[in-house]
Amino acid sequence: MDKNFQEEFTQIIKFEPPLYKQRHQFVKDLVEKYKPKKVADLGCADCSLLWMLKFCSCIEVLAGLDISASVMKEKMHMLSPLPVDYLQPSERSLTVTLHHGSVAHKDPCMLGFDLVTCIELIEHLEESELKKFPEVVFGFMAPSIVVISTPNSEFNSLLPRVMLYRHPDHKFEWSQAQFQSWALETARCYDYSVEFTGVGHPPAGMEKVGFCTQIAVFVRKYPQTSESVQSEKPMEAVYKTVFKAVYPSLKDEKYLQNAVINEVIFTAQIIKHCLMSKREEYGDDSERKSKFQPSMDCFSDYLGKPVVEKNMEPFISGNEVYVPLKTIFSFPKVNRLCGTFEKLCKLIAGKVTLSSDGSAVMFNIEQENEEN
Amino acid sequence: QQLQQLQQFHVPPAQSEEPGGHGRLRGYESTLQERRPEGLQVSSGLQDLSLRDRGGRRRDFHDLGVNTRQAMVHVQESKTGFSGKMIKLTTNHFRLTSRPQWALYQYHVGYSPEMEARRLRSALLFQHEETIGKTHAFDGSILFLPKKLENKVTELFSRTRNGEDVKITVTLTNELPPTSPTCLQFYNIIFRRLLKMLNLQQIGRNYYNPSDPVSIPNHRLMVWLGFTSSILQYEENIMLCADVSHKVLRGETVLDTMHSLHSQVGEERFRDTCAKELIGLIVLTKYNNRTYRIDDIDWDNNPKGTFRKSDGSEMSFVEYYKKQYNIEISDWMQPVLISQMKRRRGNIQGSVALIPELCSLTGLTDKMRSDFNMMKDLAIHTRLPPEQRQRELGRLLNYIQKDDNVQKELRNWGLSFDYKSVSFTGRVVQGEKIFQSGTMFDYNPQFADWTKETRGVPLIRSVPMDTWLLIYTRRNYDVANTLLQSLFKVTPSMGIRMNKPNMIEVDDRTEAYLRVLQQRVTPDINIVFCILSSSRKDKYDAIKKYLCTDCPIPSQCVLARTLSKPQTIMTVATKIALQMNCKMGGELWSVEIPLKQVMIVGIDCYHDTVSGKQSIAGFVASLNQTVTRWFSRCVVQSRGQELVDGIKACLQTALRNWSKWNKCLPSRIFVYRDGVGDGQLNTLVNYEVPQFLDCLKSIGTDYSPRLTVIVVKKRVGARFFAEIGGGLKNPPPGTVVDTVVTRPEWYDFFIVSQTVKNGCVAPTHYNVIYDTSQLKPDHVQRLTYKLCHMYYNWSGIIRVPAPCQYAHKLAFLVGQSIHREPNLMLSDRLYYL
Repeated sequence: MDKNFQEEFTQIIKFEPPLYKQRHQFVKDLVEKYKPKKVADLGCADCSLLWMLKFCSCIEVLAGLDISASVMKEKMHMLSPLPVDYLQPSERSLTVTLHHGSVAHKDPCMLGFDLVTCIELIEHLEESELKKFPEVVFGFMAPSIVVISTPNSEFNSLLPRVMLYRHPDHKFEWSQAQFQSWALETARCYDYSVEFTGVGHPPAGMEKVGFCTQIAVFVRKYPQTSESVQSEKPMEAVYKTVFKAVYPSLKDEKYLQNAVINEVIFTAQIIKHCLMSKREEYGDDSERKSKFQPSMDCFSDYLGKPVVEKNMEPFISGNEVYVPLKTIFSFPKVNRLCGTFEKLCKLIAGKVTLSSDGSAVMFNIEQENEEN
Repeated sequence: QQLQQLQQFHVPPAQSEEPGGHGRLRGYESTLQERRPEGLQVSSGLQDLSLRDRGGRRRDFHDLGVNTRQAMVHVQESKTGFSGKMIKLTTNHFRLTSRPQWALYQYHVGYSPEMEARRLRSALLFQHEETIGKTHAFDGSILFLPKKLENKVTELFSRTRNGEDVKITVTLTNELPPTSPTCLQFYNIIFRRLLKMLNLQQIGRNYYNPSDPVSIPNHRLMVWLGFTSSILQYEENIMLCADVSHKVLRGETVLDTMHSLHSQVGEERFRDTCAKELIGLIVLTKYNNRTYRIDDIDWDNNPKGTFRKSDGSEMSFVEYYKKQYNIEISDWMQPVLISQMKRRRGNIQGSVALIPELCSLTGLTDKMRSDFNMMKDLAIHTRLPPEQRQRELGRLLNYIQKDDNVQKELRNWGLSFDYKSVSFTGRVVQGEKIFQSGTMFDYNPQFADWTKETRGVPLIRSVPMDTWLLIYTRRNYDVANTLLQSLFKVTPSMGIRMNKPNMIEVDDRTEAYLRVLQQRVTPDINIVFCILSSSRKDKYDAIKKYLCTDCPIPSQCVLARTLSKPQTIMTVATKIALQMNCKMGGELWSVEIPLKQVMIVGIDCYHDTVSGKQSIAGFVASLNQTVTRWFSRCVVQSRGQELVDGIKACLQTALRNWSKWNKCLPSRIFVYRDGVGDGQLNTLVNYEVPQFLDCLKSIGTDYSPRLTVIVVKKRVGARFFAEIGGGLKNPPPGTVVDTVVTRPEWYDFFIVSQTVKNGCVAPTHYNVIYDTSQLKPDHVQRLTYKLCHMYYNWSGIIRVPAPCQYAHKLAFLVGQSIHREPNLMLSDRLYYL
């Protein structure tokens, strides 16, 4: 179950960073290079690779599959959104799902992925499962890229404590030639190109044994057509979903609206505050209805510099303070969130108290004084 | 012998954390370890399991196993009162049930050869799930199972990745009945597991539902609804006490806050202000689910700075966050926040550096708490009326009931909950009569307020205002005059003689106020009245500091704004007149106190969270038979000192003063001790109470008064609802609960004494930890309730006995403004009101 640990106990050869980290880094580098949106990790075990990938900002869909539900469940909560994700929803959307099932079975939930990783997976498969594996991954899922890593048995001689296999659950461990011939055959069969590499360099002078972990990167040669995804695939779900987390995102209208309202009211409050403190400074005995022009620099410090146009000054009239929406919109944060002025108006409609013509945020200051 | 008994179930790690838990206790711990090594191991193991993910301090939050009742013979049989009318109550407690013959089986798990890593130990053990079953809790050495294994000792064989054979020996060490303290801890752990399974987010000690937040954009706040839960052994049953909890989160990062502070205060005061505002706050980070307390700000560091990783290599923060979490830090000039790590078992104490940009603030600052508008906006969402509160709670239980996984987990452990909350009968004791200068007043006990009834009635003792100062700024000249006229109107009927004050106009600067005070305040002055134009704390602090320490004269500060509304000025003037009268040593009203020769003591603490250096204990003791005059002192204690030594000295002086006033020593002493944190009860019982006794002994060999020590706790999870007319209402003031939801090992009770306008009323918990009074529980309850009527700043009933509230007021004033012990010349007056 914990393939990540398997090389930790090697006595003579110690990898730095540990080999499992190097494998994860390899996947991460690949993600950085190809920027896939949808990534699935087959044999995700304790979800540590998925956890690392959730921080990659290009990924919008992450899925994990494992034959053992209990191993997945042990740490799956690491994949839940953090409180801060709710407080400051991100631009991108992200959904993380964990499925319980076998790579020997097809399930429509695995369709449409850009990258599928199988890190230290295949050596755990029984012969019958291994036979079905290429058809499921390359034939059915057919992602743009597949990464497969597996131990290189030629390296085992350098790991003195390894008797037969590196882990009691391994059903086989392949030499470089065995792995490469299987991979080449699979690639040929499903129209993928394949390249070989690995992590865990052999010691100097022993280069011919190859990497400790051998890795094959498959790239699909034919372009994906939408029909090919959908057509004649069995649409019956066989995997069981054990976990699903939808991250709050500004792509979701609900969160966007919230964020905009928050920002609008907060910005308007600060402008109001500046206006009021100006008034207090100069005393308010003289003219109550005069217009005050706040100096913009008093809030530019932390809201960013607004683009000030004419007729955008906030003003006090009677017991009301008016902060024009145009002014609020000119602040970079609000601007970035909404994009257009129309969008701003639409999002705050009915949620923020506006002047009768809808052009300004309105605060009643009389009421406030009363409460103090 | 008795102390050893008390220690029995205590969880050891808690003690070392406590301020009072030094030296003295350690001896008992070690004797205990010899006697019950296994029990102890379990507890600490479990604590570890339960609190590891939180990363917080290990503590016995529920004061489990502090059994104080067994030493009090007179409440062995019964600790319940009898007076009052019966009332049907519902609470937020839910029975935990286990199947008959239920037991928790505790195993010790040993490895040969020894395996170090906890994860490896679990992995190796759980290769044998077919033997030990799917349901288990394991912390690395102690295994809990819901079923008994076939043999007492089970040997299992596993093989590590690199082919090493390991023998695992699983030995039964304990068969725990459902009520054992270890089981209680275990239930709490399981319940937290359930909440996690429900996808609730853990923040601090509680769990919150992030999917439906309430946002309050005016203040950039977000409120999450969540639940507090604890499972404890109550009078008859083990019950879950669940309550709705609200977490206030702030939609801005620490860096945002720093920016806005910068623009508010400018460069010069920026760093100081940041320290004041931010230190002590709890932050959440963008990348993990931990909370950290800000302990310091390192202005000389920035994200480009480096730190040493556990493998010894150096790395910059920028690099680290990029590599580890793919997070780009945008502001490279920001300082770095420092959070001290709480001690972990065996590890060195260290600190964590945090980047402001990646931290979100939680909770409210003191400044925010004092923002009336903000608190009002918050209250709309957080003060749920009884019906709604129970409904929200019902929702949680519904989640639990409906979730298959949760139900499965519960079933596997053989546990279940009663989803209907517990109902029982409480008592509403009769309303207290208020006496004011020979007249008795009836008022509607439902409202717990006699403002109207006693308006314009002479006070018990009024102090004349012959010579006094009224200080104001030029702008507030009119306000000062209005106030004066109003005071002249309201004071005659109260019996307060008042002369025209010396009116002094000052510039609106702190130094100007101070100069006037230095020049004009003479010892014959009764009181100094200052009208302040803004709520600037420094001015207030300076005035209070001068008039409490250097030149001890009562003072009254009022904001001009408070006096500026014509429609409320008479009410305000009345309140101010009463308050000033108390500050000068006056008395307002009284209730009937049937006990003779009694001294009532109230103690509360204030912890200066900002500088984190001082703790202040307010100490207040009654001086007369009617309990209308008070002797007040405080203890200012820097970190590392024992608060109790100072309290002992206070008690001594209080007794001296009492005997001066009454020409004898009190024969009964009641101590109401507030400000006791969760998990500190043990310290109080074993350290503070003996100190009180020592102190009494030191007065004289033939002096042995009856002593009662009652721990007062305002923050409790329990809520009571009166079932009235088919709906749930707040129980009326005077509701006493001393059955079902109290603890069997304590002599404790709840009183609902106050009323609330919105939300749910919170009962106050009273725990009598020491009592030689021989009084019936009913009388202790009645006395306690009577004392809730005696707080002169509020003509109504309050949440705690008046001496506690006085002690709180005093400690707060000293902690917030004065920072050292006020002049003892003032100690016979309520100058801090």
